[in-house]
Amino acid sequence: MARYGMVFDLKRCIGCNACVIGCKQENSLPDGVFFTRTLSEEYGVYPAVNRVYIPTLCNHCEDAPCEKVCPSGATYTRPDGIVMVDPQKCIGCGSCAVACPYDQRSEMKAEAFKDGLFGTGELTDFEKQGYPRYTPGMVTKCDFCSGRVDAGLDPACVVTCPTDARIFGDLDDPNSKPSKLIRERGGKSPLPEKNTRPKVYYID
Amino acid sequence: MAANPDAVHNSIKPGRWVRSTCKMCLHSCTNLIHVTDDGVINKVEGDPTNPSNRGKLCPKGNSAIMRHYDPNRFTQPLKRTNPEKGPNIDPMWVPISWDEALTLVADKLKDCLQTDPRRIIPSLEDFQKMNIWVWPLAFGNFNFFQSGGTMCGGAYHPINGYVHSAFAAANDAKYCNFWLNDGTGDGFSSHLHAAAQSSWVADARVNRGMRCVTVEPRFSISAAKSEEWVPIRPATDRQFALSMCHVMVKEGWCDYKSLRKDTNAPYLVGDDGYFVRNAEGKIYVWDSADNRARLWDDPAIGEFALEGAYTVEGKPCKPAFQRFRDILANCSPEAMEKITTVPPATVRRLAKEMYDAAGIATDAKIEIDGRVMPLRPAAYNYYRGAQGHKLGFQTNHAFKMVNFLLGCIDAPGGHIGVTLDDQWVDHSHIEPGENGMIKPNPHQLGPVPPFAYPPQTFHLMDYFPVGVHPPHLNLEVFLNPEKYGLEFRPDTMIVCHSNPIWAMQGPREKWFEFMKSMKFIAVSDIIPTETTQWADVILPSNDVFESWNMTMIEPPHTEGMCMRQPAVEPLYDTKSEEEIFTELAERIGVLDSYNEVLNYALGFVQKPELKLEPGIKYTDKEIARRKGLLWNGKDLDWYVEHGHAVTERRLDKWYRPWEGMRLHFYIEDMVSVRDDLMRKMEAAQVPFRHEWAWEDYQPLPTARLDPVHGEPPEYDLYGMFFKDIQINFGESLSNPWIQDIVYRDPVHIALMLNPKTAEKQGLKALDIVRVESPYGMIFGRIGISEGWHPDTLGVSNALSRAKTQSKGIKHAGGHFNDLLPYDLKNTDGVTGQPETVCKVKITKLQDWPAHLKNGGSVYDLVDEIAKPGKGRKH
Ligand code: SF4
Ligand code: SF4
Ligand code: SF4
Repeated sequence: MARYGMVFDLKRCIGCNACVIGCKQENSLPDGVFFTRTLSEEYGVYPAVNRVYIPTLCNHCEDAPCEKVCPSGATYTRPDGIVMVDPQKCIGCGSCAVACPYDQRSEMKAEAFKDGLFGTGELTDFEKQGYPRYTPGMVTKCDFCSGRVDAGLDPACVVTCPTDARIFGDLDDPNSKPSKLIRERGGKSPLPEKNTRPKVYYID
Repeated sequence: MAANPDAVHNSIKPGRWVRSTCKMCLHSCTNLIHVTDDGVINKVEGDPTNPSNRGKLCPKGNSAIMRHYDPNRFTQPLKRTNPEKGPNIDPMWVPISWDEALTLVADKLKDCLQTDPRRIIPSLEDFQKMNIWVWPLAFGNFNFFQSGGTMCGGAYHPINGYVHSAFAAANDAKYCNFWLNDGTGDGFSSHLHAAAQSSWVADARVNRGMRCVTVEPRFSISAAKSEEWVPIRPATDRQFALSMCHVMVKEGWCDYKSLRKDTNAPYLVGDDGYFVRNAEGKIYVWDSADNRARLWDDPAIGEFALEGAYTVEGKPCKPAFQRFRDILANCSPEAMEKITTVPPATVRRLAKEMYDAAGIATDAKIEIDGRVMPLRPAAYNYYRGAQGHKLGFQTNHAFKMVNFLLGCIDAPGGHIGVTLDDQWVDHSHIEPGENGMIKPNPHQLGPVPPFAYPPQTFHLMDYFPVGVHPPHLNLEVFLNPEKYGLEFRPDTMIVCHSNPIWAMQGPREKWFEFMKSMKFIAVSDIIPTETTQWADVILPSNDVFESWNMTMIEPPHTEGMCMRQPAVEPLYDTKSEEEIFTELAERIGVLDSYNEVLNYALGFVQKPELKLEPGIKYTDKEIARRKGLLWNGKDLDWYVEHGHAVTERRLDKWYRPWEGMRLHFYIEDMVSVRDDLMRKMEAAQVPFRHEWAWEDYQPLPTARLDPVHGEPPEYDLYGMFFKDIQINFGESLSNPWIQDIVYRDPVHIALMLNPKTAEKQGLKALDIVRVESPYGMIFGRIGISEGWHPDTLGVSNALSRAKTQSKGIKHAGGHFNDLLPYDLKNTDGVTGQPETVCKVKITKLQDWPAHLKNGGSVYDLVDEIAKPGKGRKH
C-alpha cells in the first residue's frame, strides 16, 4: 500500500496561484474557500529584500489532530495515508478547525452555496454539478484529489503547476519523485514541533 | 440537504475530454476541456502533449470556465433605448433579432462607405483572430482604436523586425545560463506564453542552475526568483543598458568575431549617418590588415576594422562600431548612475558576469543536429516596462546592443527572435536584404498606410513609416483637429473583443468626450465592459468553448498551429466573429475584397488551392481548416484528433536562421526613413512638420533623457504600473476565481510605496490619497513594501477598473492610464510608442471622494475579506 505525500519545491514556486484555481475548478469550491493556498512572505530591507512563495495544503498528518478530535468519525485516514472527510458524517462542529495547527480546515458555509460564485443568488451549471459533493455546513479540506489518485492521476494542483513546484507520490517508495527529492535536497516538514508527522515536505 | 454520496471530483465524472486552445490571454497554450455526460464543462486542464505548455496552465487558463458560465454574458443581440450615453449610464438594452442587429450596423457602415469611409473607426482586438483584426482593410480603412500595439510593444515589435526579422524575442531557456530580465516577467509571470515559459525557465533555474538577475523598480516575481534584484529608477533602463555597453566595450568584453562576421558593425558610416557606398551602391569597410578600404564582400579582406576614423570616396567615415563607441564615451556607469541610481560597481560586475557566462573568451561552440554554432548562454531580456517609453526605439535598440556585444543574437543560449505566426511550417522569416544584410521587417502586424497630407488616419499613422499604430493619438487629434489638418471626423465605431475605454492611456474624462462624439457604436463581445456600455448595438459572440479557431501566437521555443473547437453548443443566441464580420462584409458590399485581404493576411496566397473565393461567406470552422492545411497539409479531422501541430521550433529557423547574412547593429533606415519622411512632409507643407520628433530617429541608441524626467519638480515621484501572471494581458478581473486570488495579494490592493518614501511623504499604510500627474488623477489607498525603488509609486492593473453597469467588476479609484500623456511630445517619433511612466504627486485625504463611497470597490472587497472569521462575501 502506498503512503501518499507531496513535496513543495520553493525554488520553483512563482506564487502564480494556478494551483489554487486548478483546485477550485476540480473541487467546485464556493467563493472564499481554499483547499490549497500559496502564501507569500516578504522579508529584508530595501534593496536586500526577499520574498518566498509558500504553497500550502492539508499535510495529511500521520498523527492528525483533526482526526483525533472529530466526534463524529467523519475525519478518517485511508490505508494509503490520505486524510479524508466524510460529508455524510460531518456534523459541522468545527473541532477539527480548532485542532488543525495549519489552518487547513474550511467551513463550507450554507450561504456560499446559495449566493453562488457570482454573488447573484443563482448557481451556474458548473456549480450545480459540483456542489452536491458537499453537505452545507461541513468542515472539510484537501483530500489530495483522492478520486483522481484512485484513477491513477496526480492531484489537480500538481498537474497544472507551471513550474512543477508540487511533486506528488508514494513516500514509501524510495524511488518515487518525492522520496528522492526529500532525500537529495533535504525535505523539511512544516511545524515539526507539533508532532503531527505531516506527509508534506518543503525543499529550497 | 446532505451531500450526494456518489459525487466525485470534477475531472473524473463520466464525460469526454475535448482538445482545444486557451484564450484567457492572447497566447495559445493548448488545453483539454472536460464535458460531463450532462453537457456541463467542469474542468479545463493543460494538454500534456503540447511541448510548449506541457500540460500546464497559468491561473488565467485555469479560470476559463468562470467566463463561460458568467451570468453577465450577452445572450442575444441588443439595442440601446437610452439615448443618453456615458460612463455608468444604463443603455437600457432591448433584445433584437440578429437580422435586425446586423442590418442596423450594416446600414450605418454603408452610409459611411457612401459618404466617407474614414468615418469608420475600428477597434478589433482579437489577437487570436487576425482575420477579424484586418477586416477594415477590406474597405481600405486604416483607422485604429485598440490598445494592442503601443500599449504592449509599440517600439518592441519594429525593432525585433529590424534585428531578428521577427515579432517578438525571448531568451533561450534551453541553453541560457545567465538570464537578465529588465522590466519584464518573461519566464516568471507575464508576456510570452506565461504558463509555458515559466515552466521552461523553472527547469533551467533548478536543473541547470541558470543565474537570473532582474532589473526593475519593483521587486517583482521575476526579482523574487532571481539571484539578484537591481532596483532602478523608472524610465532609465536605456541608460542602464548603455552603461553596460560602455563597460563591455571599454574592457573588450565583446564578441568581436561575431560583430565582424554576423553584423554590419564594420560597415563604414559617413558623418551624414549613411553608409559609405560606391557608385553601384555597395558599402565600404576598412581592411585593417592592409590599411585600406574595400567593399564589404571583397574576398581579399584581411581584417574588418571595427574602430578608427577614415576617409573613403572623399568622405570622412568610421565603422558603425566606432560610432557606437563614440556615443558610449559619455555613458560611463558613474555618469549613468546619476540617472538610473544603479551603483557603478553593480554595472561593472554584471557586465563581467555576462561576458564570462557567454563563453566569448573561449569562443564556446555547440553542435545541434549536426550544425556547429556559437554557444552564447547569457542574454538580456526585456519587455513592456523597460521598453514603453517616449524614446522607445532607441530604448529597445540599447537592450539589443548588449546582446550584440555578447554575440548572442539568435545564438543557442542567447536572445532569439520569436515569430508571431509562421503560417506554414517551411516558411522562413528571414529574407536577404541589401549589401549582405538581412531585410528589415519592421511591420510585423501587416501593412501600414502610405504617407498622406491631409492625414488619412485619425491617429496620424500616415507619419510613422516604421511604427505600430499609436491609438492614444486619436485623443490628441480629437482635441486639436485643426492643428492636424483633418478633413474628416470618425463618428462610427466598430468594436470586437476590445475595451479601449478601459485600456487607452490619457484621462478617461477626455476619452468620454471622444466616445460621445460617435454617432454610432457597435460592439461584439461576450461580457459587459467599460466599452460595451457605450454601444448602440451589441453583437454577442460565441466564447472560446463554443467556436473554432486555428492559431499560433508568438510561442517561444515551439511552433505550430493550435486548434480551438467547440466543446459545447453555444449557450445563448450568439454567433462566431467570422459569421458576424462576413455577414457585415456582405451587407456592405465588401465580401469579395475581404476574402482577398484574408488570402494575404492568412497566407493562403502561398497555396492557391486554399485561396478563399469571392462571393463565399466562410465560417470559423472553414477558416480554421484552411489555416491547418496551410501549416502542415493536415485536414481538420487530424487536428480534432491531435489538438495541435506544436513541435519544438525547427532549429534551422530558430537558431541563426540568417547564417551567412549580416544583422542590423547599425540601423541605417533611421536616417533614410527620416529623410524620406522629412522630404514628403516638406513637399506637402505639413504644418506640424517642424515639431515632428526628428531627433528620435537615431541609427544607434543615445543616452538622451525621456521627457518624463523633465516634468515640473512638484511631481516628485515616478508612477509606474504593473501586471502579474493572474492578470497578464487581457481582462480577467471580472472573473470570481481571479478576484479570489488577486484581491488577497497585498501588492495588488494598494498604491505601493517604499517605507522610507512613505515616511518622507508623511504617509502610512491604508492612507487614502489623491495621485496627480500633469495629465490626470486617480484615488487610492497606500500600501507599504520594501520591494519598491524609493522614487516610485507602483500601481497594479488590478486597480484599473471603472464603475460601470458590469456587475461583478470591482472598481478602483481610477485607472493608472489616466495619469499618462497622450500627446506628441511623449510619443516616439519613430514608432508611435507612448511614454508609459509618469511623474506624480501624492496628497493625503481625510476620506474617499463622494463617488467612491457607495461600496462595490476593490477596497471595500479587501476590507470585507480582512474581517476576521469571514470568507469573501460570507
Ligand atoms: S501553481 Fe505551482 S508555481 Fe504556481 S503558486 Fe502553485 S505551486 Fe507555486
Ligand atoms: S494538516 Fe490539518 S487538516 Fe490536514 S491532516 Fe493535518 S491536522 Fe488535519
Ligand atoms: S499563458 Fe495565456 S494561453 Fe497559456 S494558460 Fe495562461 S492564459 Fe492561457
